[in-house]
Amino acid sequence: MKLRYALLGLATIGMVFGLSLAARMPSDAVQGNSARIIGIHVPAAWLGFLAFGLTALFGIGWLVTKRPKMDYLAASSAEIGVLFTGLALVTGMIWGKATWGIAWDWGDARLASTAMMFFVYLGYLALRRAATDPVQRARRSAVLGIVGALQIPLVYFSVNIWRTLHQTQSIRPDGASMPTETLLAMLINLAAFTILFAGLLIWRADQLRIEEARLAETVLAPNAGSAVIPPKLQPGS
Amino acid sequence: MTFRRQVMIILRRDLRIEGRSGEAIFVTVPFGLVALFLIPLALPLDIELLARIGPGMFWSVTLLFGMFITFRQSAAESSSQQEQLRMLGVDPAARFVGRAIASALLLLIFELILAPTMVVLYAPAAIPGWPAIIPLALLAAVGLAMIGTLAADITASLRSRSALAPLLVAPLSVPLLVPAAQGLESLRTKNGIMVPTMFMVAVVLALAVAGVVTAQPLEETT
Repeated sequence: MKLRYALLGLATIGMVFGLSLAARMPSDAVQGNSARIIGIHVPAAWLGFLAFGLTALFGIGWLVTKRPKMDYLAASSAEIGVLFTGLALVTGMIWGKATWGIAWDWGDARLASTAMMFFVYLGYLALRRAATDPVQRARRSAVLGIVGALQIPLVYFSVNIWRTLHQTQSIRPDGASMPTETLLAMLINLAAFTILFAGLLIWRADQLRIEEARLAETVLAPNAGSAVIPPKLQPGS
Repeated sequence: MTFRRQVMIILRRDLRIEGRSGEAIFVTVPFGLVALFLIPLALPLDIELLARIGPGMFWSVTLLFGMFITFRQSAAESSSQQEQLRMLGVDPAARFVGRAIASALLLLIFELILAPTMVVLYAPAAIPGWPAIIPLALLAAVGLAMIGTLAADITASLRSRSALAPLLVAPLSVPLLVPAAQGLESLRTKNGIMVPTMFMVAVVLALAVAGVVTAQPLEETT
């Protein structure tokens, strides 16, 4: 309980600091003020990759150990991943409209592949809602989590495989393709968002555990009409 | 019994059931053809536009309607059939491979009927070296068959299966659709199709590994 609040507090401090740095940095010579959105867009996209990767790992963990906690963590990770991937898509579209002049470019492999990854995990969440038995749900979603994770390298390297509008990775082994102020703001936000993810993951997994326990109680409770017993038929009646 | 023999038995069984029911060939294939007919009716009468979008429509219809071949009712095993296969010691991976090959063969037939229909209806400009598309069509069929087989197993016996399975297949098959469509464009611009072909081979191999590895836990869901 304390760890969760400590992580969320730390993330809030980091985000306030990181976002204020992004707001105060000098405006970009080419992109103007729209470059500031990178402080949210890149960390959100990174968290999407991290969350979906962890969904697969926790899914494997469940298949190996059959511990319910693994399933709760996988589900929580997928939920947070969908939230942050959605945020990355929206902030990317806002940035695209300001910089490229269009919010959505159909020829861009990164945009299309990220949107498809987003839909795969919406399907993951829909699958979890459709399956009622906890063990069957965990098993099915673990498999989908593993198969879905195959898209992560495709989305990440899409900017290298296809030469499209979206720029290649901002940070590469040979250095960063941005000014130091922008890089610093982005890295602080990256760290803050990652801590936020850890806090939300623990929080949501705990909520799922409680929800599951409540649901089990509901299933065991008598239904309306269960007290009505049909009369026994006598032979010859 | 060897793995290969198990695969062959499952494959023969699925094809025999399809031969008797005709669900893929007599229902889904005409459904796909109807889609090819409907799309031009919803667009302005522009022969050049149709010629441009024809190949793309072919891949879209293959994906959107081909997935129903992989979910066909005749390929769904009842719980008693599955229990029997389990008791006989049939490897779940062999079941996955056999069923995926059967679906891939049916998808190839689907593509073979769809492609000439698209050429007749949309009259796309002749593409030099078009036979090079055949390996792409083959890889698309195999990949889509594996994704469909996986999705069918993941959603087996769920009430919302008919809506949920396509929701899973459509986004997962984008890594097949994009290089397949790009291959055609590469041929048109004379850039060669080695890159999209190798990309599709990598996707198909990754799917095969995922399908075989997850076959055992998925069998326990049914």
